[in-house]
Amino acid sequence: MTSTASLGNGTKKKSLDGLMLRYLVLIGLIVIASVGFSMANDNFYSLVNIGILLRSIAVLFLVSMGMTFIILTGGIDLSIGSNVAFSGAVGVITLTTTGSATLGFITALLAGMFIGSINGFFIGRLKLSAFMVSLATYALARGLALVLFDANSINVDNITFLWLGGVSWGNMPVVIPFVALVFVVLSIVLYKTPFGRDVYAAGANVNTAFVLGRRPERTLVWVYVLSGALAGLSAIITVGRVSSGQPWAGLYLEFDAITAVILGGTSLFGGRGRLLGTILGVLLYGIIINGLVLTGTNPYLQSLIKGLILLGVVLLDTLTQRGKTA
Amino acid sequence: MRLKTMTAGLALATAFGVGAALAADDTLDIVFINDGHVAPYHVAWLTGFEDAIAAYDKAFADVKVTGRWLSAEGSLEKMIQQTEVTINEKPDVMFVNAINVDAFEPLVAKAQAEGITWIAVHSPMESADYSFTLGDVVNGTNQGMAMCALSKGEPFQVGVMLGQAGNPSGEARREGILKGIATCDNVEVVAEQPADWDTVKAQTIAENWFTQYPDLDAISGVTDGYMYPSIAIATNSGKTDIQFYGYDGDIPIIQQMENGQVMADILLSGTREGWNFVQMAYRIHKGETPDKVYDFFTPLVLTEANHKIALEHGFPEDVQVYYVPEALEVAAKGYLEFGPDSVK
Repeated sequence: MTSTASLGNGTKKKSLDGLMLRYLVLIGLIVIASVGFSMANDNFYSLVNIGILLRSIAVLFLVSMGMTFIILTGGIDLSIGSNVAFSGAVGVITLTTTGSATLGFITALLAGMFIGSINGFFIGRLKLSAFMVSLATYALARGLALVLFDANSINVDNITFLWLGGVSWGNMPVVIPFVALVFVVLSIVLYKTPFGRDVYAAGANVNTAFVLGRRPERTLVWVYVLSGALAGLSAIITVGRVSSGQPWAGLYLEFDAITAVILGGTSLFGGRGRLLGTILGVLLYGIIINGLVLTGTNPYLQSLIKGLILLGVVLLDTLTQRGKTA
Repeated sequence: MRLKTMTAGLALATAFGVGAALAADDTLDIVFINDGHVAPYHVAWLTGFEDAIAAYDKAFADVKVTGRWLSAEGSLEKMIQQTEVTINEKPDVMFVNAINVDAFEPLVAKAQAEGITWIAVHSPMESADYSFTLGDVVNGTNQGMAMCALSKGEPFQVGVMLGQAGNPSGEARREGILKGIATCDNVEVVAEQPADWDTVKAQTIAENWFTQYPDLDAISGVTDGYMYPSIAIATNSGKTDIQFYGYDGDIPIIQQMENGQVMADILLSGTREGWNFVQMAYRIHKGETPDKVYDFFTPLVLTEANHKIALEHGFPEDVQVYYVPEALEVAAKGYLEFGPDSVK
């Protein structure tokens, strides 16, 4: 029981101390990685590269925030990447059929929420395994995307639809302030509303939450719907970025999101973690990917480096937890 | 004395350094962005590419040849990011094996504006400076026609393992194979299944087919990556009479032609192709202009005995065929055709 929000002051302080240590470590790693990569390649700190880096992790920011909510409840969502492809398919087909960017946006969001609600219903209401349900919707959503797209991409030239994912102000992609806004809104939801407290409560101990009348099954439904909505938003950004709807968009995105959330200190067992950690996790992950590309690191070595970093952080997490319980 | 030696050493090192810098005043930086890096073909690709970079750099003192090979690990978004980062690095030549060419159209213009030569690999792009293609439809047709001929007019059932849905190269290979098979009446395609270029998925598909189609005579694939697990399952389950028709020219698969399991293959050879990429970049850098659509020479591989049988059963005489020994040598030694000596 280490909920940061719902427990007494002593526990809260202790838990936050652990998270603060994690954030300091992450910030340290971000600084070390940035300095290292900039020494290896002058272009690392160039404004153009920073713009590329931020744009490339915008979608990961969004889906990772949704994944944070889910992991905080002790769940997992393996369907996010497929949902991005499916939502993109629905949005793009609506756009090309009706010519209306607004309808395209709305249907993309609704499509994402639809997959999220399937997850939420089976996991929250029917109490099925989150892993198994989202594994099923992972295949379902990708299959739907392939069928809708007929396995081919669809080009998009609607300037309004492409704006969010494709436009930059100078070197600053428009999508970054938007992601920051979403972060602020979700932070308010998570830390300042009863729903946020229910998210932590459901993850800390679902039975206790139920006894206390917190209705965790309803909370679970809504966190998956929220994650689906963020997948829908991500689909819109992805379409803008590549000027087309793609049946294979978002492939393996869920694994990157889970990695970033774990890097950010959110416990896979639920009840512990914060969005700030996820943001730092995504940033570190993005910097590593960007730096490895810039330095032309061999792809086999890249996998090794990513694996070692993740293993190191998980090990650090375990040691920190043991230190706290000792 | 020690100081003098050190000074002399430093002077010598400086002289060599300056000499080297003066000698290599021209640079050729090549970046290859690929969709993955785990398939056996990708491994061979990378090996050929890296060996060729080193060989060209060594062979030509006036050009500093460097190269990087990036893998998007199957993710479109990662590939876009890698491409954007690479454009910002301004290499001379970019080879891009796009997961989906439409998604890369906006980036081609960006790269060209930076003076980078964009070479689309396998899936042609109109906007690219060049497209490096494999003649997939023709190759597939040759594979299908070889199957027709080697089935000798007997009733013959085949399962065809496809690439990832929507992948242009995979679709072209499928089109060719089916076109080749359609040249005879006795070969029946009992199953078609995408294995997404994934050997593990290929294994599952082969297992299912062997159960579902007890009279299956052959498996045809759009990549040799599918052949490894399929051959292993067939061998382990005692189905030694199943024939395999591959595509890629992987050396271990060509080697299995002599024992009669693999009947035909298409000699792309990752190693060979890796060498050809560097040769192509070098030629462009030196001012040559290849065809906008550069068709890589990819012959059909058969054993000499099977070629004879195939010809007796209507296989066209004008289709160029490499026999196993020649194919193995060429597949292993990309420098024979595309090394520095080929452009000197």
